[in-house]
Amino acid sequence: MALQLSLQLELNPDQSFEQYHTGRNCEAVAALRRCAAGSGEKTVFLWSEPGLGKTHLLNACCRDAGQCGRRASYLPMRAVSRYGPEVLDELAGLPLVCIDDIQAIAGQADWEQALFRLFNQVQDYRHHLIVAAPVPPGALAIALADLKTRLAGGLTLKLQPLDDSGKLAALTLRAKNLGFELTPQVGHFLLSRYPRDLPSLWQLLERLDRATLAAKRRLTVPFLKKYLDEMS
Amino acid sequence: MGTLWSNCISKLESELPPQQFNTWIRPLQAVESGSELRLLAPNRFVLDWVKEHFVSRIEEALSQQRLEPTPSVVLEIGSKAQEFTTSANALGNKAQKSRTNVPNNLNTAFTFDNFVEGKSNQLARAASIQVAENVGRAYNPLFLYGGVGLGKTHLMHAIGNIIIEINPVANIVYLHSERFVSDMVKALQHNAINAFKEYYRTVDALLIDDIQFFAGKERSQEEFFHTFNTLLENKHQVVLTCDRYPKEIKGLEERLKSRFGWGLPVAIEPPDLETRVAILMSKAQQVGVALSPEVAFFIGKRIRSNIRELEGALRRVIANAHFTGKPITPDFAKEALRDLIALQDRLINIENIQKTVAEYYKIRVSDLLSNKRTRSVTRPRQMAMAFSKELTNHSLPEIGQMFGGKDHTTVLHACRKIHELLESDSKLSEDYSNLFRILSN
Repeated sequence: MALQLSLQLELNPDQSFEQYHTGRNCEAVAALRRCAAGSGEKTVFLWSEPGLGKTHLLNACCRDAGQCGRRASYLPMRAVSRYGPEVLDELAGLPLVCIDDIQAIAGQADWEQALFRLFNQVQDYRHHLIVAAPVPPGALAIALADLKTRLAGGLTLKLQPLDDSGKLAALTLRAKNLGFELTPQVGHFLLSRYPRDLPSLWQLLERLDRATLAAKRRLTVPFLKKYLDEMS
Repeated sequence: MGTLWSNCISKLESELPPQQFNTWIRPLQAVESGSELRLLAPNRFVLDWVKEHFVSRIEEALSQQRLEPTPSVVLEIGSKAQEFTTSANALGNKAQKSRTNVPNNLNTAFTFDNFVEGKSNQLARAASIQVAENVGRAYNPLFLYGGVGLGKTHLMHAIGNIIIEINPVANIVYLHSERFVSDMVKALQHNAINAFKEYYRTVDALLIDDIQFFAGKERSQEEFFHTFNTLLENKHQVVLTCDRYPKEIKGLEERLKSRFGWGLPVAIEPPDLETRVAILMSKAQQVGVALSPEVAFFIGKRIRSNIRELEGALRRVIANAHFTGKPITPDFAKEALRDLIALQDRLINIENIQKTVAEYYKIRVSDLLSNKRTRSVTRPRQMAMAFSKELTNHSLPEIGQMFGGKDHTTVLHACRKIHELLESDSKLSEDYSNLFRILSN
């Protein structure tokens, strides 16, 4: 049977708190939810190794804020740093600002000053700011001490990595979010034969979603074996 | 938000990737009026992006609501409920309006009562109280300087709060120097520079934070120079904070540096252990948490750099305790701060201290580890030993070992010598402050 090509549509998995496998991160998630709702700590610094869902959580915060009628902005620094720091102008007027990957602008004086200005303005407004990075504030290569200490002065939250059962649960949830079922057998098979870091697993899951769609097949262990063989 | 925009939002949210939606659509604010949907973007960047990439989708979402006629979309920069008026916005009608309507930006949580006094800041606190109680008559300008996160902003707000308490109709403006600069730029753009000048030159007290950010901004310096002179001539109070002594600010005009030194420049030093402990106890008490002295000592010993980071550590511990419902013991604090402590241990270790001190004094690390007894090597070695004791948790014999196998009594002598000289030798004291700043950041 000829493989039907699946449309290369952009996958839009729902990035809500409900679609986040909390695992050992209940405390961090609860603190972020409070922040999104307009209470809790005014400044939160969220950090962890890559792939544990910082971007997902920041977007979930924006979504929750929106549902409470609060405007919000999600700014991925890796993407917007190619433009000027004017990107940050007047954002402090929004009740919630989420800055992702702050390390992308570390060491760039104009960006650091603009972020420092944003930080001060957010405080003046008594609004909320959430910043995410792969390292804690003290390990960021930020040269402007005024900014670095301010980042360290808020509530710092670290996302804890998932163990294998957590990864299995997270994979199952993610698959469900993408619209297909991932059985425990398939999950175990993936975890025992494929790189177990979450970014690799997410990528594979999205490819499998497309492959099952194209083949009009359910995701089973034999299908997975065949797919991985063909890929290799 | 009206239903028109809510419907559009629901549709766009289901169609766009969440990150795009949250970056470009979520920040928009809608004003619906008759046949028009005005969308307010926070800045030019968002406006241009939405115009270029999303306006047709928005129009499509609107047309699907089958209204006759389909409302037109107008994109503008702005905000419909500006909770906080920039001073530049407030300028135009300033002449007619009572000044008390203009927000002074003071944070009432910062008071003298909750400012913990120690050896490192008692002079600054006393001078601030004098200024607050004798506006324009005590020290003018009051120039508070010191490293980041040591309480300069706290004192500045406390001064403003006392002035208001004594005279509730006093016109006080607190702002960060960056804001002064950006308000001035806005005033120039909106042809409101005269109103800007009048606004700042007629306040009873002008409190400007972190004036080191004026460095290199010549037009702002010029304007601030005139504002400053007018205020001083009229015996209105000026309070400034900076991360260094006026003369040391690079990129600042000489005439400003000299004027900043006219009143009273007063330094705030990093707090000693006892003060750090007292600060922790006070901060905890303010949020209704009973912190034992053991825990406060544990945190105070581990976080030495500045008060802001001390607060961050305390927040972490309290949040963790609230969440888990566990009592805050030294072991609990140790666990809650595990990552922070590990990072600090990685960043501040004896090798790092030796390297930094050697670089500062332009000698070699091997000199520090040698038995050379010339003054040019002995003092830096003693300094490095004192920092190793102060900033790490190594025992004295371990420190001695790391300095080429010296005896622990040599380390002890070095620490005592440095502390003795800190009181009497201003050059050494300055070197110590500089090195402390470098090592802590």
